[in-house]
Amino acid sequence: MFNVTQSVTGTIFDVKEFTVHDGPGVRTTVFFKGCPLTCIWCHNPEGMDTAPTLMVRNTQCTGCGLCCRPCTHADCRPFGRCLHICPKGLVKVAGRAVGAGELVTKLSAGAELYGAGGGGVTLSGGEPLLQPEFARAVARGLHENGIHTALQTSGFAKADTFASVLDTVDYVLFDLKLAHEDDHRRYTGVSCVPIHKNLAHLRESGKPFVLRIPLIPGITDTDENLTALSALAGDDPVELMPYNPYAGAKYPTVGKVFRYELPEETEERSPETLAKLFRRARVLR
Amino acid sequence: MTETLYTMIRNRAHRAVRRAPLAEIAHEYAHLGLSPIERMTRRFEMLCREEIPVILDAGEKILFVRTVPNLPDIFTEEEWAERHRDHFIHENGYVSNLSPDYATVIAKGLDAVRAETDCPETRRAIDALCNLSDRYRDYARENGREDAAAVLDVVPHYPARTFREALQFLRILHFGIWLEGSYHNTLGRFDKYMYPYYAHDTENGMTEDEALDLVCDFFLACNKDSDLYTGVQQGDNGQSLVLGGTDADGREVYSDLSRLCLRASEKLNMIDPKINLRVNRNTPLSVYEEGSRLTAVGLGFPQYSNDDVVIPGLEKLGYAHEDAADYAVAACWEYIIPRVGADIANIGALNFPGVVDTALHHSLKNAETFDEFMADVRRAIGEACDAIIASVDRADVLFTPHPLLNILFGCDISKGAKYNNFGIHGTGVAIAADSLAVLRDHVFGDKTISKEAILAACDNDFMGQEELLAFVRSECPKMGQDNDSVDEIACDLLHTFSLALRGKTNCRGGIWRAGTGSAMFYLWHADALGASPDGRRRGEPFGTNYSPALHTRTDGPISLIRSFTKPDLTETVNGGPLTLEFHASVFRDPDNIPKLANLVRYFVSRGGHQLQLNTVSKETLLDAQAHPENYPHLIVRIWGWSAYFVELDKPYQDHVIARQEYSL
Ligand code: SF4
Ligand code: SF4
Repeated sequence: MFNVTQSVTGTIFDVKEFTVHDGPGVRTTVFFKGCPLTCIWCHNPEGMDTAPTLMVRNTQCTGCGLCCRPCTHADCRPFGRCLHICPKGLVKVAGRAVGAGELVTKLSAGAELYGAGGGGVTLSGGEPLLQPEFARAVARGLHENGIHTALQTSGFAKADTFASVLDTVDYVLFDLKLAHEDDHRRYTGVSCVPIHKNLAHLRESGKPFVLRIPLIPGITDTDENLTALSALAGDDPVELMPYNPYAGAKYPTVGKVFRYELPEETEERSPETLAKLFRRARVLR
Repeated sequence: MTETLYTMIRNRAHRAVRRAPLAEIAHEYAHLGLSPIERMTRRFEMLCREEIPVILDAGEKILFVRTVPNLPDIFTEEEWAERHRDHFIHENGYVSNLSPDYATVIAKGLDAVRAETDCPETRRAIDALCNLSDRYRDYARENGREDAAAVLDVVPHYPARTFREALQFLRILHFGIWLEGSYHNTLGRFDKYMYPYYAHDTENGMTEDEALDLVCDFFLACNKDSDLYTGVQQGDNGQSLVLGGTDADGREVYSDLSRLCLRASEKLNMIDPKINLRVNRNTPLSVYEEGSRLTAVGLGFPQYSNDDVVIPGLEKLGYAHEDAADYAVAACWEYIIPRVGADIANIGALNFPGVVDTALHHSLKNAETFDEFMADVRRAIGEACDAIIASVDRADVLFTPHPLLNILFGCDISKGAKYNNFGIHGTGVAIAADSLAVLRDHVFGDKTISKEAILAACDNDFMGQEELLAFVRSECPKMGQDNDSVDEIACDLLHTFSLALRGKTNCRGGIWRAGTGSAMFYLWHADALGASPDGRRRGEPFGTNYSPALHTRTDGPISLIRSFTKPDLTETVNGGPLTLEFHASVFRDPDNIPKLANLVRYFVSRGGHQLQLNTVSKETLLDAQAHPENYPHLIVRIWGWSAYFVELDKPYQDHVIARQEYSL
């Protein structure tokens, strides 16, 4: 039978095995390249643009200058840097095209392990919904191989796009960031209206899901926002994700500036007080 | 175990009881023309006399702590030189790295053992140890410690009856054999031989808390003198014990006592004893979860051994089933049989990248196909093994006699036992496989790299060949990425290694065992070698034991496990673990414990033989390197043992930090 998964190609920027915060059980997460949002706290800046992104892990750079010399490789041309010369392997491009079939085969290698522990594969990013056809193909392929598939999404997509990908996955990790439209636009660059619409659809679909809230001190982690998000979450399960102090680490490697600054006076909330704000929340550690 | 005692040992305050070092004795012994066994006996008698009974704390239940800080050598330098000239002297010449049979002696009592032996030196050694113990007993009684005195009324003279007596007896024996000068002899299958005493007391009303308290006290005792124990680095002291596994009839050994041991180790959070957990295809997930909770503490153990691979592997080498099924783990990871095994599991090491380097320089030029070249590599492995064998077998292996240790083997263990096999580590197999893949794919395959270019690059450390370096180092497939085309070369190399030793006997009538361990060779071998075709620069160390190259980037532990379980590891049961590094953050959430447990079980189900799991964060390590004073208790796993990070030399620290690269 013709297998649709073989023919679709997409762009990913990473595959990470044994990701313990991306859904139930032992999981592998595949990171789709490109995101319509521009959250200022995003810790994966190399995943934001749809186009391939040059990454130079410059903390270990010796300044030898080899990568700045002109070279003849076609694939280096867009970046103005040579990708094939750094003695320490520090110059890389985030974002590579991959066929859905090839990706499914690779991700299916651990099937026996996933099956044993109620785990599987999580499609994350960036934003998988930016590549809906690819996301569907990968999810279907995994499904055929008996692998539980989760979608980790900002929820920002057209309603039919969201619905079509939702149909192909077993579980959803749905991000909620800011309850108020103005704040949402200000810190993520987009409106939260489509997100709330898709959330409504998700609820109606009956698919198991969890709402995920990043706790960004001074932005999402305010009494006002969390109270509002709590009302939005209602009785649905919530995972609260504490701020990672290394979040800005990758910005210099992609030549971007991490605009988020941790407020000087951040009040430490205990997991218990945080959880109390919600009806069904747990704090990821 | 009381809090004050725990704090005292952790802060090393108990070391204040130590006396000044003893003076040299070898010249006097030499002058008197004493035989080696007389010297060993005399020194032991003297050391037992010099030891002063000490009770560190009113709540200390398991007594015996060293007050004599040193063991003066029994031979002079000249005498050692002579011994080295005429014999093969393994390491420092004293018996090491075996698994004594404590159980039999604990069940008999030293008085009965003494009556049975016809060796006068053994009787003297027993008398010396019993005398010291009697002094401990009297001291305890004088100081109002009737509980401890009552235990010492029974052991070590008579058979232990209770769990506490058995633990105290074990402590005395273990203390005794260290004091006699043997080293790195392990605690063996602790939960197996201690179980009868534990069960006896449990039936008679011992609560779980009481039992846990005793185990903690015993484990804590293992940390009292450990800095005095010889090793390459602090922490390398061979105090490992084995939990779980099956007995000769296939019955599970894992019990409530095993569980208590894991909990005690978790509670103590100290580097001794090092815990090995034997598992097999029937081991329930809950056992892995219990092990994983200990992993989360960050001690670098338990280390897992897979019975389904190790037992058949040992049987293939000629071990009887009941012996193979009883295997324990020696100081680091080498498999050793309690009582009947006098194997020397770390007598040499095959340098896989070194073998590739030899073939590169001798036969690359003339080889027309990769298969031809690979045949030369296999030949070079054979030659390297023969050279190791010849270097050992040029003379007989000579150990000093150990009259006390002998009682734990029922024979003169310095002369050998039922099994006298020699083990050879295999270092850097991943680097060798990666290198050969480059040669196969690009020198012989698409010919994008010329023979001259790769040779020159290895000889000149890739100077001026940056593009070639970047290509082979960062763009070619590596072992650890679950890439069959590389992994199959590793399978070939390990198989060839085991074949090269098959059928060869050693000077003690034993055979040779192949392994995947590295011990300190991962630094030594790498130091002596130029750059490798996989882009490993000159001086860059190999991965420890059975691990990927340090510069390998993988998608994570699933790929690593898949790569490293492809070879038939029943052929390399000298041991040597795959090491997985986990960022400490992974374990902050207790929900992740079952995930880790599943991962370990996956490793076992795929036929891995041995697995180490480390949890440290790179940030922590860097900070510890900069501010050692803030991290006196930071523990990392080095090759087969755990150590305090700040006590390591800088190259070892750097290596631990570099290892973190592939875990991030
Ligand atoms: S939605 Fe997620 S991936 Fe996209 S910018 Fe925000 S944090 Fe980054
Ligand atoms: S080649 Fe590598 S080390 Fe040299 S300047 Fe470029 S990034 Fe830095």
